[in-house]
Amino acid sequence: MKIKRNTLLSLAGIALLVGAIAVADATLGRFSVRILNLSAIYIVLALSLNLLNGFTGLFSLGHAGFMAVGAYVSALLTMSPAQKDMNFFLEPIVPFLRDLQLPFPLALLAAGACAGLVAVVIGVPALRLRDDYLAIATLGFAEIIRVLITNAQSLTNGAQGLKAITKYSTTWVVWSVAALSVAFMLALVRSSYGRTMKAVRDDEVAAEAMGVNVFKVKSTSFVISSFMAGVGGALLGHMITTIDPKMFTLTLTFNILLIVVLGGNGSITGSVIGAIVVTVLMEALRFLDMPMNFLFIKTDGLPGLRMVIFSILLMIVVLYRQRGLMGNKEFNWDDFLGIFRRKGASGAGGRS
Amino acid sequence: MKKAILVIVAIAIVASVVGCSKAETKTDANVVKFGVFEPLTGANAAGGAEELDGIRLAQELYPTVTVGGKEYKIELAIADNKSDKVEAANAGQRLVDSDKVQVVLGSWGSGLSMAAGPVFKDAQIPAIGLSCTNPLVTKDNPFYFRVCFLDPFQGTVMANYAYKDVGARKAVIIREVSNDYSVGLAKFFADSFKALTGDQGSILAELNYNTNDQDFSAQLTQVKSLKPDVIFAPGNYTESALIIKQARELGIAAPFLGGDTWEIAEFINVGKQAVEGAVMSAFFDNDAPLTPLSKVFVESYQKKYGKLPSGTAVLGFDGYLLAIDAIKRADSVDPLKIRDAVAATKDFAGAAGYVTLDANGDPIKSAVIKEVKGGKFVFKTTVAP
Repeated sequence: MKIKRNTLLSLAGIALLVGAIAVADATLGRFSVRILNLSAIYIVLALSLNLLNGFTGLFSLGHAGFMAVGAYVSALLTMSPAQKDMNFFLEPIVPFLRDLQLPFPLALLAAGACAGLVAVVIGVPALRLRDDYLAIATLGFAEIIRVLITNAQSLTNGAQGLKAITKYSTTWVVWSVAALSVAFMLALVRSSYGRTMKAVRDDEVAAEAMGVNVFKVKSTSFVISSFMAGVGGALLGHMITTIDPKMFTLTLTFNILLIVVLGGNGSITGSVIGAIVVTVLMEALRFLDMPMNFLFIKTDGLPGLRMVIFSILLMIVVLYRQRGLMGNKEFNWDDFLGIFRRKGASGAGGRS
Repeated sequence: MKKAILVIVAIAIVASVVGCSKAETKTDANVVKFGVFEPLTGANAAGGAEELDGIRLAQELYPTVTVGGKEYKIELAIADNKSDKVEAANAGQRLVDSDKVQVVLGSWGSGLSMAAGPVFKDAQIPAIGLSCTNPLVTKDNPFYFRVCFLDPFQGTVMANYAYKDVGARKAVIIREVSNDYSVGLAKFFADSFKALTGDQGSILAELNYNTNDQDFSAQLTQVKSLKPDVIFAPGNYTESALIIKQARELGIAAPFLGGDTWEIAEFINVGKQAVEGAVMSAFFDNDAPLTPLSKVFVESYQKKYGKLPSGTAVLGFDGYLLAIDAIKRADSVDPLKIRDAVAATKDFAGAAGYVTLDANGDPIKSAVIKEVKGGKFVFKTTVAP
């Protein structure tokens, strides 16, 4: 009976969400829709990093590298030969790649697959490392990928970057991918595979003693995470329609890490909330950079002020909720309804 | 207690958002809005700030524009793109949708301009790039223009200088491989130098380094063994100055040539005695005015900021004036009509020379060649396109 109620509530919630997205897509201005879609892409990216950081306990800083692989693969596969000729004005593109053009869904899968493949190559040596050492190693690998892209002029157009990538990342595409990612993560975390991942995270030695193949679990998690990062990177490329190697620096990884930590390490709900909060807040605070006229205080516009305020807000969150907004809990209807019930009770009975 | 703080924070956020949206709705019929799309924080902040200086100066000198007998006040809507492509697209969209600008100026950094390019194209708002030299910025985008010359022209100018004035027949190129500007310049220098000498082997080597590198001994040892007549090393000024310094310490005597990024006081501060004799292309010179406006610009700039203007500040100034000029010629503040007027620009007299825009939206304008002499940038010659 109770389970049924929750299922119904979930279905209603999903329907409400789909409706809200449809309404937002149709009525909001292009600016708001862009921010909305960016949130969806960050949800995919945050989930992929959370899988490593939060669920498997692997501290990886190589995300920007996998995103770069995904973004470049998908961009090069969807561009028409004419667009490629326009972009590669310094050195012509290698011929076999020039005439290769795939439909977007296939290119998106290829982007994820290539990122996953790179993860296999990198993961085999790197995953033998633990903790901080793994972070440094993955960070180094991401840099290597970026430098390779910069130098492969006839393959990636090097530092010139690519432009006029077709804008496939529409509201429905990005939100479908985000929804798929959430569903996949939920299924994964609840499966026996997800439980072994958590076991590895909590105590590697104990997990191994229980018969878990730690290396296999780690590499699977690493490859899946990279696949999702590749897809996310591809979506990002198709959204801003231009990419270059400078985009995929450590800063990008940190942005995603920020979302994961803010939302709650090891919480899918947290990643979703974190992605939306960070993306929306960064733009909502933009007015702080503008010239202000506050009673007696007049500023001439202080660029960067919003970053200061944003950091202060982050510090407040970290001080009062050390484990992120959601901790490592997930959203469920019982707790959600419990909030109202508790409020109602305390309202009636007063503080005890 | 905790809850109280959270509530206060929440109220503060809501209040500020509401306050912000109020400010936005205040629009005046007699105002033209210029969007300034620049990196004011992040890695490119210094470049963005210089262009903004030039724009602010121009606004101070020319605060209004008259259209159809009615005087319009020009307002600047400044959006920081944080030197980040994702943010750049957001900032561009914000300028278009929330600030409702008629013209956009910027951005320093071609990649950032390319990120916001499609946004301006969709919204049909003309954008005037100031110092973004990557040819891809204006390609395939009828709404992006620029007031600086491009890599192909600059590279050719320096190749001509190397061949004719230095008398060089063998050259080595040292490029900053992660910088699109440097790679582009190097490529076009190599092409025209090969054409001039008629010798495919006249470029002895193309050596690479990365932004933020400190030690260039590996590249320079190779340069020493190749014994070139001239070294072309376009790139960021700090790294370039270090390269020249280390080359002189290794006993390499060949002259160094570079691009417009060198023309900044820091280049001499870092390189000191070693960069004496370094030759670079530049947008304009304080002592050899290209147009009557050059003098006005240099004098008022010094008065306002108390220092000599750099090459990028003058481009900010010119971009602003070109926008005004286009509005006057269009006799309208409608973005589409302004775009057509900008596209039709011919012999526009900016502070950094006369600008005529080609079909692609790129200017045909002259370049200046300068040399470091006695710790100063000294004018050498003007090269017509």
